[in-house]
Amino acid sequence: MSRIVVITSVGVISSLGHEPGRIMEHLRNDRVCFEPSPVDEKVPACPVRDFDVRQFLGRFKNIRYLSRGARFCVAAAMEAVRNSGLDSAMLDRAGLFVGTGPNLDVGGECPEISSGRIDEDALQALWILRFLPNTPSCVIASLAGIHGENLTISTACSASLQAIGEAFRKIRSGYLNMAFAGGGDSRLSAGGILAYRKAGALLTANGDSETAYAPFDCSREGFVPGEGGAFLLLEDLEHALNRGAKIWGEVCGYGNSMDGYNMTAPHPDGRQAEAAVRAALKEAGMTPDQVDAVSAHGTGTRLNDEMEAGLIDRVYGARPKVIALKSWFGHLSAACGALETAVCLFCMQDGWLPPVRNLKSPCHVRVNFVRNPIRDTPRTMMIENFGFGGQNAALLIRRWT
Amino acid sequence: MGILEKISGVLADILDVEASDIEAETYLIRDLNVESIDMLEIAVSLNAAFNIKVSENDIFLRNLRPYLIEAEDKGQAQAPCLVEKFPFLTPDRVQEILADLDSGPVLKVKDLAGFVAYQTR
Repeated sequence: MSRIVVITSVGVISSLGHEPGRIMEHLRNDRVCFEPSPVDEKVPACPVRDFDVRQFLGRFKNIRYLSRGARFCVAAAMEAVRNSGLDSAMLDRAGLFVGTGPNLDVGGECPEISSGRIDEDALQALWILRFLPNTPSCVIASLAGIHGENLTISTACSASLQAIGEAFRKIRSGYLNMAFAGGGDSRLSAGGILAYRKAGALLTANGDSETAYAPFDCSREGFVPGEGGAFLLLEDLEHALNRGAKIWGEVCGYGNSMDGYNMTAPHPDGRQAEAAVRAALKEAGMTPDQVDAVSAHGTGTRLNDEMEAGLIDRVYGARPKVIALKSWFGHLSAACGALETAVCLFCMQDGWLPPVRNLKSPCHVRVNFVRNPIRDTPRTMMIENFGFGGQNAALLIRRWT
Repeated sequence: MGILEKISGVLADILDVEASDIEAETYLIRDLNVESIDMLEIAVSLNAAFNIKVSENDIFLRNLRPYLIEAEDKGQAQAPCLVEKFPFLTPDRVQEILADLDSGPVLKVKDLAGFVAYQTR
């Protein structure tokens, strides 16, 4: 008999705020933080305004090795640690599963190389640490005193959802009683914007940044980059009950797969993405008609949304309500799954679902997109993420009652 | 800007502390908790800030204690041996260091300043 895994702490750093009440208030009042990117005014972006990592960590010398994305990652993890109330003996045994992206802040951080000569004077002795994927994990471990089983996952936009899924399985199968899992990322620097602009994946808009981003709309033309981070504490149910922890929800099932098709585009028929979703259902012992709501990947690119709407229609039909949280805070890349899972937990607790913003002409007629805010208390939600390179992940969570 | 002020700025940056909390008499390891990884960063930054070649062994007084043991083994006086190995230390500073050995790592901010002044003389 496998164990039941519950979520007992949440830490969030987002453009909509850093704690559940604030985030729900923003969602209810239709307040968002989209604005033209300072590096390319045609590109809307969704920054976390006034973010200062020292507000969350205090003074700390190893901040010098953290890129902006890594700073969100560490800050969110430490918020989850703080909210968990775990003492140092418990933290000592906890696991750590971290989804990270590449450091694309190439403007100031990569050495200038011309004619084979590298200008290295401005570089730190250990500048490599700013580019190693496990740097955030090492910093979190040292700050929090976490020493258990761990994994850093860099599978593009499905990374942090996979981090949560892998932590779930470690606890479910008894390797750990507790694990922090999530991620942080930022691709708003000149290098980040350049990378996705050249790939043709970004929305460009000359008008109002707040109304331009429309996932699943027929007019959609790309994604809007966001930034931030989120971490959850996953815990064996018995362990959580014994210490009287607040329970946010249950993780019921997880699945992942690879398209093995294209370096950026999803496979148009979405069969492998569907396999990830069905694996999560199978692990949870549930059927598609038991999924009350779907938090779609919904990037707003033509290819993802068409594939995903088709997948939703095939797997679940018109029954579950479909939300697209990226329309509220942009695409957090490696961190999107963690933040979307956290916000789903907040919505389930509040009994309220936000609409897909700016959706006027849905790209699929049968999918039940949430068009207006609704009072609804989904018992179960499926979170879907599909990343560059055909990285697919799905996580099924249940409200705790 | 004086050498000491510039060094305080470098240390404050690297260690994420207030420059005003760093003085000539501040101990790097005892007071500022400097670790080996920080020494790497400090050496690289001083290198760039003063355009000098910083030898980590010299500026951080590495091998100070092995040198003293070596002098003792050879029956030599300790102070002249240290002055020879670390020519940027004044005789007065060497006496201070010898009197301070039992209290922990002796390296102070003013030793870094001494090294830089000697290199840029």
